[in-house]
Amino acid sequence: MIVNHFDLWYTPRMKKLRVMMAILACRLSRKLIRLLGKGGTDFPGRLAMKICPDLLGILAKNVTTVIVTGTNGKTTTARMIEQSIADSGISYFANKSGANLLTGILAEYAMHSTLGGKCRCKMAVIESDEAAFRHVSRYVDAKAVVVTNVFRDQLDRFGEVSQTIGSICDGVRNSPNAVVCLNADDSLCASIAEEIPNEIVWYGVNVPIYRERVEELSDARYCLHCGGEYVYDYVTYGHLGGYRCSACGLSRSEPQVAVSEVKVSDAEHSEIVITADGASYPATVNLPGGYNIYNAVSTVACGKALNLSTDVVVRSLSSFACGFGRMEKFEMGNTSVRMILIKNPAGCNQVLNFLANLSEPSVFAICLNDLTGDGKDVSWIWDVDFEKLLLLGGKIDRLIVGGMRADDMALRLKYAGFASENISVCRDFGELLETCAGQEKPVYIMPNYTAMLHMRELLSKRWGFRDYWE
Amino acid sequence: MELKICHLYPDALNLYGDGGNITCLRQRLAWRGIDVSVEECCVGDTPQSDFDLYFIGAGQSFEQGILLEDLMNKKAPHLRSACRDGKTFLAICGGMELMGMSCKGADGAETDFAGVVDIHTENGSKRLIGDYVFSCEELDGLPVVAFENHPGRLYLGSDVRPLGKVLCGHGNNGEDGLEGVRYANFFGSYGHGCLLPKNPALADHILKTALTAKYGSCDLAPLDDSFENSAREFMLKRLLAK
Repeated sequence: MIVNHFDLWYTPRMKKLRVMMAILACRLSRKLIRLLGKGGTDFPGRLAMKICPDLLGILAKNVTTVIVTGTNGKTTTARMIEQSIADSGISYFANKSGANLLTGILAEYAMHSTLGGKCRCKMAVIESDEAAFRHVSRYVDAKAVVVTNVFRDQLDRFGEVSQTIGSICDGVRNSPNAVVCLNADDSLCASIAEEIPNEIVWYGVNVPIYRERVEELSDARYCLHCGGEYVYDYVTYGHLGGYRCSACGLSRSEPQVAVSEVKVSDAEHSEIVITADGASYPATVNLPGGYNIYNAVSTVACGKALNLSTDVVVRSLSSFACGFGRMEKFEMGNTSVRMILIKNPAGCNQVLNFLANLSEPSVFAICLNDLTGDGKDVSWIWDVDFEKLLLLGGKIDRLIVGGMRADDMALRLKYAGFASENISVCRDFGELLETCAGQEKPVYIMPNYTAMLHMRELLSKRWGFRDYWE
Repeated sequence: MELKICHLYPDALNLYGDGGNITCLRQRLAWRGIDVSVEECCVGDTPQSDFDLYFIGAGQSFEQGILLEDLMNKKAPHLRSACRDGKTFLAICGGMELMGMSCKGADGAETDFAGVVDIHTENGSKRLIGDYVFSCEELDGLPVVAFENHPGRLYLGSDVRPLGKVLCGHGNNGEDGLEGVRYANFFGSYGHGCLLPKNPALADHILKTALTAKYGSCDLAPLDDSFENSAREFMLKRLLAK
């Protein structure tokens, strides 16, 4: 009789060995890839799953997990939540490298467990891609799920926003024990509440954020129930704000955790007041940009879902370290360079909202790639109000475009009204960074995803900044 | 000279950057010192009778569903007679489908559309997605580069022509090698990207069509299209080299 070795391999007795082998393979391959100076995030997890397909379920069993998903702000929100957990004195790990698909998340669990499959930390802060969430949640029983917002994003990959909402709902249905934190100001995000039985913590911003806002197309102009048009008491940005359906009366849920006042929002930080459970907490958010105010208040909502002290969580907002490429600041040459990821119209418009309020003359670089991680379709740049940059007038010291689709970006700026001779095209990222480092004025680089990864890698290798996955 | 543009449903059909076509048309007129006005015609509005060029872009199924009743009641009769009167149209993707006769849904049910041009859509299960190139006969076979993303399969009726022939990618239905639709002064295409800025010859051809219809003849001064051409040639090189 011929014994099939693979059948033997899958007997319960062999399970422990399989778990151990899978963890070992995952860790060794990741160490090796990083020794080679790469952030390689897919292969180790893929390898581990080949050896032990249900590894994630085993590793995640005794870890209290927070999952952060949604279109924009996942990484920054996860960094804020991470800080609040650290400040609460709880051991944790997080998938910081931006590997937010099933394999990358699995690898992160494997890196933080013993060879026997026990996690060395009490908690995990996991950022999950919207489409991957439904798969991750089959293995991970999350304690809290934070949905940041829902916007149009990578239409060639995600399809229409209704599909994104459906994916997130599936993920939550796989997470029956999770308290779900939802954005009360976002009618698309709020629609998830009707599909799920879970306990919900609503968060939101009760007041407008910007004095000067860019022209934005709304991603949700009509009521999902009756097709009536939404009317707004106020808009914070995009389709977010105090909305109400003019036909059926469906309206924003009152948030339990809310920003009740925006005192300052400048080029370096924001000062806000957060109201939760009847008490007011003054807070400093140590990253600029109105959208980071949303990330901050969702972090406080998450703290409530996890029963952390609100005092501690609010304080952590002033000390967290931003995610790589998310308003990350680099001192180079005689200037400071901020790198701000842009990847869809909503996110990019928020960055322009921030830039349009700058008071100092600055240099701007926009970099556009079209690899799979970016979305192959660059049409979205025509949905962004780049015309708003014209308002900066003389405060634009230089305008540079880069990346594979630099020409498309140059074209967009030309049609926005910038003179061709004022737009310089610089395809090579190394050269572009050299140019930025040689400036006297502050520099703002806006890359999309793979352009950001590429530049971030160059910043580590050539300029000695920390590796982005650290 | 002046061109009056009507932007149909900017409130509901505003996906995939198609609004960039309006920006492109507007700027190419302004750079030549030709006056241009753009009026938005949203859900609930009734269009005025004196437009020279109508533009309609793509939207999500949800929004397209919302505006259908409004389209049939408030806009379709006007658009049909505008097209008969030789007004110029540019319709992209879902907007082009809506200007057709009807659409067959996944469940087999037929929905009537505006009936401006003799085209018919069937909803396929798999979306046709990607960069693509088609050659445009009336531009002497000039290749046009764009991005397509549509579940619809479009079929031409008897008295309409295609806008182009697919050189790479899917086009109308992935079967007959045709792309878009031409009828009188109606231009329809699946091309996003968005379509006109990277294909300035097509943009000018559409402007010329609209200005000629209005003034009998028109000469457009040449513009410096070096950015346009390098963006176009980069993609052509990448796609046609395969």
